[in-house]
Amino acid sequence: MKHFFIDKYSEIKSPINDLNARAKVIIFFALILLCATTPPNAFLAFGGYYLILSGILLVSKVPLGFVLKRTVVAAPFVLMVTLFIPFMEGGGGSYNLWGLTLHRSGLIVLFNVSVKAFFGVAALTLLTSATPFNELMDGLKQMGVPKIFITTASFMYRYIFVVVNEAMRMKRARDSRNFEGKWIWQTRTIGHMIATLFLRSYERGERIYSAMLSRGYDGEVKSLGKHPIVFKDVVFITLIISLAALLRFSHALTKLISGS
Amino acid sequence: MHHNKAVEIKNLHYKYPDGTMALDDINITIEHGESVALLGPNGAGKSTLILHLNGILRGNGEIKVFGLPVNKHTLKEIRRRVGLVFQDPDDQLFCPTVFEDVAFGPINMGLTKEEISTRVNKALASVELEGFGKRSAYHLSFGQKKRVAIATVLSMEPDMLVLDEPTSNLDPRGRGKIIKILNSLPVTKVVVTHNLNEAAKLCKKAIIMDKGRIVADEDIEKVLSNRPMLEAHGLISS
Ligand SMILES: Nc1ncnc2c1ncn2[C@@H]1O[C@H](COP(=O)(O)OP(=O)(O)OP(=O)(O)O)[C@@H](O)[C@H]1O
Ligand SMILES: [Mg+2]
Repeated sequence: MKHFFIDKYSEIKSPINDLNARAKVIIFFALILLCATTPPNAFLAFGGYYLILSGILLVSKVPLGFVLKRTVVAAPFVLMVTLFIPFMEGGGGSYNLWGLTLHRSGLIVLFNVSVKAFFGVAALTLLTSATPFNELMDGLKQMGVPKIFITTASFMYRYIFVVVNEAMRMKRARDSRNFEGKWIWQTRTIGHMIATLFLRSYERGERIYSAMLSRGYDGEVKSLGKHPIVFKDVVFITLIISLAALLRFSHALTKLISGS
Repeated sequence: MHHNKAVEIKNLHYKYPDGTMALDDINITIEHGESVALLGPNGAGKSTLILHLNGILRGNGEIKVFGLPVNKHTLKEIRRRVGLVFQDPDDQLFCPTVFEDVAFGPINMGLTKEEISTRVNKALASVELEGFGKRSAYHLSFGQKKRVAIATVLSMEPDMLVLDEPTSNLDPRGRGKIIKILNSLPVTKVVVTHNLNEAAKLCKKAIIMDKGRIVADEDIEKVLSNRPMLEAHGLISS
C-alpha cells in the first residue's frame, strides 16, 4: 500500500536540507513569532515575510504545490472563525457590497488572522518537509523538548502506517465476507474492528518493547551525538532573522531615525 | 569460559498470565558454537522458550546462559551476548532509519561514535545491504526487512544468535540468501523453523517441542529419519 511521509522531500539535496535541524527550528519559529506579533496594518511587513518564505522555499526545492496543498487544509478552520467578523458592527467606516455591509475594522481582523495563520502553517509545512523527521526530532530534543514527546512522535511516525495497514487489511477481510445489512449491525461490526485494532496495536507495542529490551534498552532512547551548529548555520540564522526583524520593526525604526 | 555451555536449562516451567501452560519442564543444553534447530507445530511453545534465553520472560526453573544465571544483575551482559531476532521484522525495526535501527544496540552498549558506524556498516554488509542506512525501514521489501532485522543484532557482535522463523514468508531466493548469511556466521545459533529442509541446511542438532514439552533432542539426521515421530508432532503430513 502506498503512503506518503510528511518528510518526503527531505532527501532532496538543497542548502536548506543541509542546514542543522536546530538552526531550522530556530529560524522558522523566529519567523512565525515575528509575523504573529506584527501590527495588523503593517501590510508591507507581511509582504516581506511571505517573500522571505518564498525565498526559502525556492532554495529548498520543495515543490510549491505541495506546500500550498497542505497549507490550504487549514483554510476551513481559519475562515470558519473569522469570515463573519467583517459583518459585525465596528469602527473605521464601512463598505457596501451587493447590499451587504462590511466593516473596515472587521476586514482588518480577517486579514490579520488569515495572513498570520497561513504564514504559520506554510512555515511549519516547509520546515517539516525540508527536514528528515529524525533530525527534526533530534534538533527538538537538543533544544530541551521533553523526551516523552520526542519518543511518542517518533513512534507515531514509524508505526502510523503499520496500524493503517492493519486497519485496511481488516476492512478488506470484512468486505470480502459481504459486509452489509442493517446499519445497526454495521455499527456493531465497526465497534469490534476498532476494539481489535486497539488490541493488536497494544500487542504490537508489547513486542516492540521486548525487541528494544533485547538490544539493551534501559528506559532512555539514546542517539548518536549529533551535528553541532556550524558557521553556515549561524550565517543563515542571522541573515533570515535580521531581515524579518527589520520588517517587523521598520515602523519603529523609521520613527526613531526621523527623530519624532 | 569455554568449558561453560552456551545454554543450560533445567526444569523450566512457564505459565502465561491467562493460565496457558506454555513451557512444561524444559531441560536442554546447547554447546558453544553449536547450531540447533528448534522445531514444533504452531503453539508448541518455541517462541516462549526463546524469549527466556535473554530474560525477556522469566519462568520457574534454572537457566544459565554462557555460565551466567539469568537475573537482573546479569541481564545486561546476557542481552549483549545473545542476539534475538523476532519473527515479525516490523517489531524489530522501530527507528526512523535503518542506520538507527542497526545502531540501537551498539548505542545502548555505550560504544564510541566511530565504533558504532563501523559496526553498523559491517553488519549491513554481512546481510548484503550496504548503503541502505538512510532508508526508512517502512520502504523496504519484506525480505530486506528480515535481513535488516538480523543486522540489528549482528551489530552487537553477539556470541549467540536466536532467530524466530528467519525465513518465513520469504520467496525461495530470499530464503536461500538468509541461509547463506546464517551459515557464514561462526556463532552459536538457535533457529526456530517449520521447514525441515532448512533446518538440515542450517543445523547439526534438532530439538522438537510439542505442547510445551521437549519430545526429541538429538542429531538432526536421526530426527529427520524418524518419520513416525515427525508425523506424530505435526512436522510432516501423511
Ligand atoms: N501473550 C500470551 N498470552 C497468553 N498465551 C500465550 C501468549 N503467547 C503465547 N501464548 C500461548 O502459549 C502457547 C505457546 O505459544 P508460542 O507462541 O510460544 O508457540 P510457538 O511454538 O512459537 O508457535 P508458532 O509456531 O505458531 O509461532 C500457545 O498455546 C499460545 O497460545
Ligand atoms: Mg512462534
